[in-house]
Amino acid sequence: MSITPTDLQTGAALAPTVYRTSKVQVFRFSAATWNTHRIHYEKDYAVAEGYPDVLVQSHLHGAFLTQYCTDLVGEDGRLAALSLRVRRFAVAGEELTVAGLVTAVTALGGARAAVELDLTETRGSDGETCVTGTARIEVPLTWIAVEATTTPPPTPGESSR
Amino acid sequence: MAIDESVLAGLRREIGVEHCEELGEISAILVKRFATAVGEQSLLYTDTTYAQACGYADVIAPPTFVTAVITWTPGAPYDRLREDGTEADTHLPGVPAQGVRIMGGGEQMTFHEPVVAGTTVTRRTVLLTASERASRQGPMLVARYRDTYTDPGGVSLLESVRTVLLR
Repeated sequence: MSITPTDLQTGAALAPTVYRTSKVQVFRFSAATWNTHRIHYEKDYAVAEGYPDVLVQSHLHGAFLTQYCTDLVGEDGRLAALSLRVRRFAVAGEELTVAGLVTAVTALGGARAAVELDLTETRGSDGETCVTGTARIEVPLTWIAVEATTTPPPTPGESSR
Repeated sequence: MAIDESVLAGLRREIGVEHCEELGEISAILVKRFATAVGEQSLLYTDTTYAQACGYADVIAPPTFVTAVITWTPGAPYDRLREDGTEADTHLPGVPAQGVRIMGGGEQMTFHEPVVAGTTVTRRTVLLTASERASRQGPMLVARYRDTYTDPGGVSLLESVRTVLLR
């Protein structure tokens, strides 16, 4: 995914990315994170808990949102903050689509700019939203349009400190 | 054990108390496996030579890696697992070892510096708030924890505020 200054205007919808999950991926993610919860690898347990199959981990949902942002900025930018809430489950095998909406663009010092995003992750089977979130990415100032203000954005999570 | 006043009281005793845990050295192989499991394409996460050419001592971890790893211990013995397969003892102060279901209620992360493989990381955990609320499934406790991850020089690498739901 590559972005242009036009993409980074407030109100711009960014191109979505589809992440195709699988049982193998969910298992490998559990192994890589030492996540031993049976709901991620034991279908009978997941069914007994009221789900149709083993579930995608909340941290794997978070990793998809993270990947969406870091792929967006590449090595010239960085992900500065991410906030997310899993609202509905996804079973292994779902296609999950992450999309972003630019909500603010702010010039920073050092020829950098902060871009605030609203993020959603929807499941392909029924279009329901599994995850909502926000992110702040930092990119070269040359990436953004001239609308940028000079007021620094609030830090996600700052109010909870 | 059901969610009751004693559980809430146990949580509230921990509010503001800082717990420090040495997570150990972030190993390159763990970083690479995590990135591979997620499906990351960036060579910064999986190729030591490439990461070094970019100025890092080794691969760097995807931003959420250290918060996604459930435990940094060798793992609990089987008689210290809950029925759901998770470890009875969590790093969350005030959470009972048995009798409660633990669910995620959202997370806010702020990333300050890349976590480079080889870095020894310390986590400081503080319970910020604990309260009770009603839900369709009965009473629920809502606890908010802040985890701060630092390197040996005390530099903050990232911070996470996570909401944990107990039922």
